[in-house]
Parts: sequence; structure tokens; C-alpha cells
Amino acid sequence: MNKMQILIVDDEVEFASTLVERLALRGIEARSANRGEEAVALVKASAPDVVILDLKMPDLSGLEVLSRIKAIDSSIEVIMLTGHGSSAAGIDGMEQGAFDYLMKPVDLTALLGKIEQAYKKRTGERERQ
Amino acid sequence: MKSIRSWFTHLLPMDPDKLSNEVYREKSYGYFKNTLFGIMVVISMIPMMITAGLGYFQYRNLLHAEEYDQLLWRLDGAQKTIEALVESLQSIVTFIAREDRYYALLNEKDLRILFDRLKEEYGDFVDLGVIDSAGLQRSYSGPYDLEGKNYSSQEWFKEAMTKTVYISNVYLGYRQIPHFVIAVRKRIPDTDDYWLLRATINADTLQKFIATIQTKATNDMFIINSDGQLQTASRTYGPTLSSYDKDLSPDGISIHKEGAKTTTLHASAALKNTPWTLILTEQDYVHKEEWTSFRQRLIFIFLGCSVTVILVITKLVGILTDRIRESEEKRHNLLAEAEHSNKLASIGRLAAGVAHEINNPLAIINQKSGLIGDFLEITPSFEYKEKIVKSLVVINDSVLRCKNITHRLLGFARRMDAVIEEIDLNRLINDVILFLENESLHNRIKIRTTLESGLSPIQSDRTQLQQIFLNIINNAIDAIVHDGVIEISSATLNDGVEIKVKDNGPGMTPEIVEHIFEPFFTTKELGKGTGLGLSITYGLINKLGGTISVDSAVGHGTVFTIHIPFTSTNIEENHHE
Repeated sequence: MNKMQILIVDDEVEFASTLVERLALRGIEARSANRGEEAVALVKASAPDVVILDLKMPDLSGLEVLSRIKAIDSSIEVIMLTGHGSSAAGIDGMEQGAFDYLMKPVDLTALLGKIEQAYKKRTGERERQ
Repeated sequence: MKSIRSWFTHLLPMDPDKLSNEVYREKSYGYFKNTLFGIMVVISMIPMMITAGLGYFQYRNLLHAEEYDQLLWRLDGAQKTIEALVESLQSIVTFIAREDRYYALLNEKDLRILFDRLKEEYGDFVDLGVIDSAGLQRSYSGPYDLEGKNYSSQEWFKEAMTKTVYISNVYLGYRQIPHFVIAVRKRIPDTDDYWLLRATINADTLQKFIATIQTKATNDMFIINSDGQLQTASRTYGPTLSSYDKDLSPDGISIHKEGAKTTTLHASAALKNTPWTLILTEQDYVHKEEWTSFRQRLIFIFLGCSVTVILVITKLVGILTDRIRESEEKRHNLLAEAEHSNKLASIGRLAAGVAHEINNPLAIINQKSGLIGDFLEITPSFEYKEKIVKSLVVINDSVLRCKNITHRLLGFARRMDAVIEEIDLNRLINDVILFLENESLHNRIKIRTTLESGLSPIQSDRTQLQQIFLNIINNAIDAIVHDGVIEISSATLNDGVEIKVKDNGPGMTPEIVEHIFEPFFTTKELGKGTGLGLSITYGLINKLGGTISVDSAVGHGTVFTIHIPFTSTNIEENHHE
């Protein structure tokens, strides 16, 4: 089994980089992207296991990035992050194949739990293949 | 055209800005009602008045013309009859006074025989006399002792001597009885001298004759001479030889006032070969039954119609004004309501937007403090480590507080997925009260319930309903502060369930009530409330298809009335945030 790879996509540079650093402290390999296009390119290049994706970005919307990622590799699991209290966008994301959604500001413990679940799902699927 | 339209627009109480002003509204509806009433009365009464007026004058003219015709026709008849009478008397006298009879008639005996025969045939004659040109009565036959009387100084004699046939005015003469004379002038045979045969007829004869012609009791018929002296008795102007002073139009009809009220028509005609004028008087039509009853009926019908018209218009205008008023007020209320919920919705959206923008920096603070915590965990102890760790806890708590606020704010506007299930609202309320028991006991606030025992179960969302009642009862506790009573009642209505939450707190002014459901509106001390509780409650109830209203007065406490339909549908907002 390969080491788990995480991609964090958020236009808030500080948020993404801090999260990368905290995950790294916990032994999880993570990279960050601050633009939608950049995220899509990174997915193509490095094929992460789990993508943590902000719904709102200046160039591409989170939902658009989600569909592009799923087009590249549908087995990549995506956890949506939303800044609004509204669950509507998160639900829309899940309808389009996202694994789950969390609301900002997110608790790291909760996020780690979700990542764990998503990764299990992905590796399980991989094993079945 | 334009001014008429602007006048109509002005007439209607249309100015929506001023509609909320009670005094203006009353005044403007009153004005509208009165003007409409006026217009309708004028429009319906004018044709009625014109018709009635036309009828009145037309009928009057008709009666007037008919009356003139009748009067002239009757006058003509009477004139012919009297003229025929006079004619016959005159021809009798002319017949007797043959020229060659002069000497025979001077003989008293012969005269008497003639007179007796005459009287046998014509009872109208009183006496008969022969008078010579000197005015001396040469022979006489009759009831008076008039033989030898000299008439030369009398007016009638002078005039008779100038005409072949003479008819005198009625006068008293020597006998002091009203009479008139028919005198025929003849030449004394073989001389240039004249003699007169004079026949006297009592005025009574004329009187009786007129009485036979005269029919109606209201009429008056009499004869006057050229001096205006009555030749026969009149019902109005007195006995024979009284005077009659009216100006007559020659051979026509003149109108005269008799006293203050009565008008009379006087028709006159000169009688041929006599010094007399026949006068027929009649009361004007206005005093007659035909006209007075017509006028009474006209007035009665006109008044009846007017009263009916006014009653109908009053009723109609009342209904019309009420209808307009009702729909205007309904429209106004709907507008106000829509404005209110619009306002709440837009404030909600604004709040959500602000919350969203705050969430991102909050996330960064959260992660950074987390990272610091992570580093501290793997760093050995140093001088201020403990203080830094404590500070981090406070930072995290503060972030959590902010998060709670932003999430509640967002909740105000967000779409929620209601889980519809059957709910016993009484039980739900009791659960909520149980939950708040500690707080109410602590503040010495009693919560009393009068819940309807057979309250209809409803189909709704449990969590949201709990939130709603938690907020409202909490609000009541906060309003009372301490020592008070909260009364909660439930009842089943036609279209849902109604819950009333009443507190005996200080109550609110209308200004506060107006803003009570707006987010961030709070009367609590700074830091004690977010001003979101009631606005979230409002949103929740709306989404369950219910309504909430508040009734409050300063010093009388506050009542919240919540209406929840039997079945709540999951009302979703259409926009995605």
C-alpha cells in the first residue's frame, strides 16, 4: 500500500499551507493548491488519494473543480469545505460524487476522521478492482 | 378631459403614502363618499325634475286653453239667448206702436185692452204708456198712477227721442223699483211731431232669465251698463244697481284677483242694440279639483321617487365605499406584510454574507492556533510555555464563540431539511419546559400550562419546533428577569394548532414590537444576547408554514401567538447561497 497523499485546494493561502503543515506533523503527506486550474493540474500530475476542496474560489468554482477531478480519476475522494452555514452547496457536491462536506472553520480532529474514512473507501475500491 | 380625469383621481383615496394615516384616510373616504353621493343624486334627480316640470307646465297650459275655450263658448251661448229675448221684447213693442195707432192709444180704454192682451201673451211687461214729444205721458196703462207725468227732464226720454227704438239702462224711476224701458219712436200722422210708445219691464225679468242660463254654482253671470252699474244681481258684486269696477278687455277674457288667494276670469260681451254688457265670471283653473288633484299626485309621486332614489343611492354609495376601502386596506396590509418579510429576508442575506466572509479568516486563526499547539506539543518546556498554551485555549474558545455566532447567523437564511414526523405538541412543550426548569427556578419564574387535552397531533419537524419553543420561552424568561409567571396554552383550530406564550414581564412599546423579529435587534444588555433568537424563530416558523404574531403593551406583558399548520411541508428557499 502506497503512502496516503492529500491535496488541499483553497484560495486562502495561509489556510491551505497551515493545514499542509499540520497534516505533515501528523505524518500525512499533503500538498496545497490555491487556484482551481492549479488543483486540476496537480491532480493530473500526482494523483492524490483525497482532495480537500473549498467550494469558493476566484477562477473555478469548487463544484467545477470537483467534476474535473472526477473526470480524471473517479476513484479520487473529495471532501468539500464550505464557508457558509448553508448545507445546500455541500449537498450539491455530494450529489456530484463528493465523499462528504465540512463547514469552516473546521476542527482538525473531525477533518482527520473524514480523511481516514475517505482513504479507506478509496483503498477498498482499489483492492476490489 | 385631462382635468376631469385628474379630478376623479383626486376623488379616490389613492395616495398610498398617506393611507396609513388614520385621519387622512377617514377624511378622504368621507370626501369620496359624499362626492359620489352628490354626483349620483344630481344625475338622477335632474331628469326627474325636468320631466315633472314639463308635465306640470304642459298640463297647466292645456287646462288653461280648455278653460278659455269653454268660457268663451258659454258666454257666446248666453249672449245669443239674451239678445234673442231682448230682440223679441223689442219687436213686440215695435209691432204695437204702429203709426196710425197714436190716436187710438191715447184712449185709455183702448190702451188698457191692448195692454191686457199683451200681458196675457207676455207676462214680462209691467205697463204701457204713450208719451208725446214734450215728454208728457198722454195715456198710461199699468199698476202705477203715472198718467200726466212729465218725463221731459229724464235722461232716457231725451235719448229715446233721438232713436227709433230705445232700450234704457235699468233704473229706479218714480216707482222706485228697478226696471228698464223699451221705447219706440213714431211720427204723429200728418205732422212733423213724434210720439213714443213706452213699455216698462221689471229688472226681475232679466234676472230670472239669467238664472235659467246660469248653471254652475261657482259661476256668476250678470249684466252691467256702460257706467259699470249692475243691471241684474250678482253673486259677487251684490244686488241690481250696485257698481262693478273691474276693467274689462273688450269682448275677451280678463283675469282678476279676488282677495289674496282667488283669481277669477271675467269674460265679457256687449249685447246688441242695448247699452248692456254681459259678464260671465269663473274661478281660475288653479282652484279646481282637476288641477289640485293633479298637483297633489305630481308632488306625491315626485317626493316618493326622490326618497327612493336617495335611499338607494345612500345604500349603494355605502356599499361601494366599503368595498373600495376593504380592498385598499387589504392591499395596503399585504404590501406592508410583504415589505416586512422582504426586509427580514434581505437582512438575513446580508447577515449570511457577513458571516461567510468572517468564516474564512476564522478558519485561518483556527488552523494557525492549532499549528502553534501542534508545535508546542513537540517542543520541550520553556519559560512561558504554560502561559502560551493557556492563551491558545482562550483563542480556541473565542474562535468557537465566533463560529457559533456565524453559524446561527447563517442558519437564519439557510435552507433546512425538515424531517417531518407526527408530533404531540403538548409533550414537546413539556419537554422544553423541563429543559428550562433550572433556569426558571433560579429566577423564581413559574411556568403554568393550560394545554388542550385532546390536542390534534401535527406533522412537523421535531428539532425545529423544539428550537422555536426554546427560543420563545427563553425570551419570556429573559423579559421577566425574575419573579413572574409564564402561561402557555394550546388549542386546536380549523387549520392547525395555536400556542400562546404569555409573560407578565414589563411589555414592549410599539416601536420595539415593530423590530422584534429583525436580526441583531436586542433590548438585552451588551453581550447578553445576539438579537438572533427571535429572528431565527421567525424564520423557522415560516419554513414550517406557520405564523407568529406578538401582542404587547408596556406594563401589561407580552403574548406570542404561534400558529402551526396540521401538516408542515418542507418549504425550501430557491436560491443557493
